Amino acid sequence: MRENLIQTGLISDDGRTFIEYDWYAGGIPPNVRCGENVYLDTSYGFAAFHSERDTGFELGKGSGTYDRASFIVGQNGSAKVGSFTVLNGSTIICNDRITIGDHCLIAWGAVITDSWTNFADEEKRRGILRLAAKDTKRRLLPIEKSRPVVIEDNVWIGFDSVILPGVHLGRGSIIGCKTIVAEDVPPYAIVVGNPARLIRYLQPDDTPEAIEAAFVKYRKK
Amino acid sequence: MSEKQQTQLFYPLQPGAVFDGDWFGGKVPRNIEVGENTVVDSSFCFKHYFSILPIGLKIGSNVTIWRASLAAEENAVIEIGDYCYIANASLVCSEKISIGSYVLIAGGVTIADSDFHPIAPAARLADTIALSPVGNRRKRPPITTKPVVIKDNVWIGYNATILKGVTIGAGAIIAPGSLVIEDVPPNAEVAGNPAKVINK
Repeated sequence: MRENLIQTGLISDDGRTFIEYDWYAGGIPPNVRCGENVYLDTSYGFAAFHSERDTGFELGKGSGTYDRASFIVGQNGSAKVGSFTVLNGSTIICNDRITIGDHCLIAWGAVITDSWTNFADEEKRRGILRLAAKDTKRRLLPIEKSRPVVIEDNVWIGFDSVILPGVHLGRGSIIGCKTIVAEDVPPYAIVVGNPARLIRYLQPDDTPEAIEAAFVKYRKK
Repeated sequence: MSEKQQTQLFYPLQPGAVFDGDWFGGKVPRNIEVGENTVVDSSFCFKHYFSILPIGLKIGSNVTIWRASLAAEENAVIEIGDYCYIANASLVCSEKISIGSYVLIAGGVTIADSDFHPIAPAARLADTIALSPVGNRRKRPPITTKPVVIKDNVWIGYNATILKGVTIGAGAIIAPGSLVIEDVPPNAEVAGNPAKVINK
């Protein structure tokens, strides 16, 4: 069940790809691009994918989306996920740009969002709900200008964490479970708790040599 | 056409049991030891149970398990006492999780005795390769584990999380949403992320 989506998928007239083993009938939208050897549990995560960009979502080679990993992407949104990244039941809410690097681990319940920050204006909030009620797709428009999120390579985001708009997570960093991240995190830092606090730094031992050795050792023979 | 079995709310938990009318249609593992009047709602609770030890789950009498996940790795042991009530919680066990008697575990609770992944950047990166569609899941880099002990009469609130190496003293109360990363003294009440004692 872990074959390449492109090889096993059936393509429909409107360009959607249907995965053979999928329980959900929605299919993968045509502007979702996958690298080699990716795994997608289900197309259910693309139920609220409304991107009208040429490439609305990109999943690099060897990456996987598992369980209820969801991609809530607005009309102008475009999210990119690198290679060998695990999206296990996490949610991406993107109305502009979210970039996730290679070798990241994103756990269940984690939310990464580039929009929905300013809730102060009550009339604006009511207006967005009125617009959603009129839309057949019930899209929620972003309240204010989105702020892109960048997650560098080898970042681990623990379960039920939230990465807020505009945040940049440095390479190799760890976000503990149930942590709300509103500020940038430096490379190799460990950030935990609510409010979030930086508790220590890790040794940056993920050298190009170490990566090469890991591929030799842990890739299926 | 055979008539579909009526689904029961609870089934008596027994080693190797298959439940008539179980929506999941799985089988209870054989390597478990169960007391009397202990019930479970579905074999789904064992979907992630992979213990290969002679007894991977030891559970007492009069225990209720409802929509919970008893996830155990190959060499893991979960021990649960008597009169416990485990509702919609996840026990994620790599080595050992011990729960006393008269313990209530509410919905959304996660109890884990490992870090799930290595901490060091190079080892963690190696884990992403092992877990990938082209990786070998049975051969992952080493991950730190440390048993969790929950003593008698402990109440654990909704969405609380208990992490590896924690011992929760008898009679303690874990407030909803807490993240417990260090030992909780007997009869203490803790809350927050990270959890702190609030009843001193």
